[in-house]
Amino acid sequence: MKTPLTALALALTATAAFAEYPDKPVEVVVGYSAGGGTDVMARTVAQFLEQELGDGASVVVKNMPGAGGQIGFTEVSEAAPDGYTLGTFNLPAALALTKDRAADYDLDSFTYLANFVEDPNTITVAATSPFQTLDELIGAAEADPGAITLGLSSLGGNDHFAANMMQDASGAEFTLVPFKGASNARTAIMGGHVAAGTMTLGQTSNFPDELRVLAVLAEERSPFRPDVPTAKELGYDVQMSSLRGIVAPAGLDEATTEQLLRALSAVNENPDFQAMMAEQGNPIAFMAGDDFAETAAKQDGIAAQIWAETPWK
Amino acid sequence: MYSDLLHALPDVFAWTNFAAVVIGVIAGIVVGAMPGLSATMAISVLVPFTFGLEPLVALGLMAGIYNGAMYGGAIPAVLLRIPGTPAAVATTFDGYPMAQKGEGGFALQVAVVSSSIGGIASAFALMLLAPPLSKVTLLFGPSEVFWVAVFGLASIIFLLGGNPIKGLISACFGVFVSVIGSDPIYGNDRFTFGQLEMLDGINIVILLVGLYALPPVIDLLETPLKTDGVNSSKLGTEPIWKALPRMNYWKTWLRGSLLGIWIGILPGAGGSMAAFMSYNEARRTSKNPEKWGEGEPEGVAAAEVANNADTASALIPALTLGIPGTAVAAVMLGGLLVHGLQPGPMLFRDNPDIVFGFMWQFLFGAILLVLLGGSLATNSFARLLNLPRPLLGSVIIVLMLIGVYSIHGRMFDVYLMLGFGAIGWVMDRLKFPLPPVVLGLILGGFAEENLRLALRIGRGDPMVLFQNTTSLILVALTVSVVVGPTLKKRFIDSRKKA
Repeated sequence: MKTPLTALALALTATAAFAEYPDKPVEVVVGYSAGGGTDVMARTVAQFLEQELGDGASVVVKNMPGAGGQIGFTEVSEAAPDGYTLGTFNLPAALALTKDRAADYDLDSFTYLANFVEDPNTITVAATSPFQTLDELIGAAEADPGAITLGLSSLGGNDHFAANMMQDASGAEFTLVPFKGASNARTAIMGGHVAAGTMTLGQTSNFPDELRVLAVLAEERSPFRPDVPTAKELGYDVQMSSLRGIVAPAGLDEATTEQLLRALSAVNENPDFQAMMAEQGNPIAFMAGDDFAETAAKQDGIAAQIWAETPWK
Repeated sequence: MYSDLLHALPDVFAWTNFAAVVIGVIAGIVVGAMPGLSATMAISVLVPFTFGLEPLVALGLMAGIYNGAMYGGAIPAVLLRIPGTPAAVATTFDGYPMAQKGEGGFALQVAVVSSSIGGIASAFALMLLAPPLSKVTLLFGPSEVFWVAVFGLASIIFLLGGNPIKGLISACFGVFVSVIGSDPIYGNDRFTFGQLEMLDGINIVILLVGLYALPPVIDLLETPLKTDGVNSSKLGTEPIWKALPRMNYWKTWLRGSLLGIWIGILPGAGGSMAAFMSYNEARRTSKNPEKWGEGEPEGVAAAEVANNADTASALIPALTLGIPGTAVAAVMLGGLLVHGLQPGPMLFRDNPDIVFGFMWQFLFGAILLVLLGGSLATNSFARLLNLPRPLLGSVIIVLMLIGVYSIHGRMFDVYLMLGFGAIGWVMDRLKFPLPPVVLGLILGGFAEENLRLALRIGRGDPMVLFQNTTSLILVALTVSVVVGPTLKKRFIDSRKKA
């Protein structure tokens, strides 16, 4: 606000935007198929965001699956920053794939609005596995480097980064086995075809009898599984998780950003929303605006570093 | 293990779910009765439209269509000597002579009762075998799944009948298509030409719609069908309950059912092979084989019981391992995936109501076949053959375009589908079999992914592929499929010389 004139102009546009927005449906682009975890979150948020924006606002979810979410992320980054196109954003996946291929967007292509879900990675073995603790598993990996196979959902995602960071922190060497998707990796762990695996806590939650979670890769124990220690407690300071939030294209004007941030914060504070997310098994970790942008930048750094040190393709 | 089966029953009787089966059976008979239209085609055109439906409504439609179409193919086979579906070829052998003798009505009644019995037997096989099998599939790791895929590819090439070289070329094309997209381990782009839409590989439903629906539609538009032969007044129908006592084919039904079930479970072979084998076996053991081919009702029974007996059983490997045994089973897997139902051991655990409900729907579809196909409508179905074919073809094309567009909401897929349709049409003209393309796409992808995973687990040592009994059994089966037919031929030749 350098001069009174620009201040006035800004104030005018701000009130104008405030009065008008949203005067047509707001689209939330989801880069995955309907029915998946990200889609369910988007639909839940959309439903409550409609209420918070008020005035008969309409928020619709648009699925644009393909290329590991890249089609959807690209769509959002290239949309007009007018507040009518929002998108779901998955960390670290969305930024990791800007490292290993030519993507049409990067860290700076988005206005970071709010993160809703954070699902921490775990180190997990089959319930029938001889490894009772994380130390036993790492001990075995140190004794015979590479003999311990570790199932992942894919390379270049949170599972892969978690495994890499675990190797760095412990000095042990695992053989990483990237399956096609988390459910295949989980089945292989349960069948004993790989010795262990890393997947998010949410992905283990339906299988308490078949899987043994050795550690959670988070700062603190999860309220969903307070019995499982964190890797940090066990001496390995590793944190990795899968995050899901809402972004807009870069260059969204301040007034609309403010309005959306307020509305999304109100969504998060709504007890009905909290109840619905808990029912879906989604651990909420709400971060708005700059906090979210900071986390995204940090995840971008981790992905860039791992890509530089051990490129996965 | 089987208690889930009973729990799933109430949902099946929800009226929408039950109506879906009824509509499916009727639609299936119609589709089967149209020469050129097959169950695979009907279900592939349908799958994209089922997205908004409840899973059991969608699956009920598919189960009904599959059962109905396998019988529907008998209608023109008997009346016109034109098999409505490939699986009905063997039905023409005795069905058409019967119609010429004025026994067309009885032939169709034998066909519908036999179809129904085959379908019921198959549904029971699925119900009894799939749940225990789903428990042991955890034992199938990457190396075992790799061998299952190799076994499946080998059987589709060598067991399909016809020219194995053409089968091999078709399968190779399918395997090539499976390579398109990002590779399963590192995610490198392969043959994507920089198109983001290609990164996930070729969606099986798009390939199926193009390959299975476009060529027959072009045929529909191209060749007018002569229907002078259909004179339904000459069918000589009597009510089906009066005809029933004349059908005493228990041995044929039993043998045909078992053959059909077994062939359905085997990857590669399908309804037409089951029908041929059952027909040959029944004739071989008949007291009066010389009458066969001149209007022996038991011949119709043998063919029709077997081509329905492979329906549900083809889903046994599909639901438990995610590996379809036939092209139709492959489309049905596509239908399951559309609803977020991932085949494999977890399916039975996570969605028991749906997977077991689906099995019940197969059973009820087969039972309904007798009621719907037998009593009320054989005559009206026969008249369907007089429908204007260009009109029908145009409607199907429109459905194909809308359906494929709606999968991801993009035109790219529509062009892709039309491209596959053109390839399918050329292949059809040159008499290349189409099922190996579909299974090549699915099994080729499985084979590559699991081979690479197995080698990674074995840290590059190929011996990891031979380290357990399951793998070794699968290797032996594969070898027997490849060299078996040659050895058999040599054996027969040497006996002839002697």
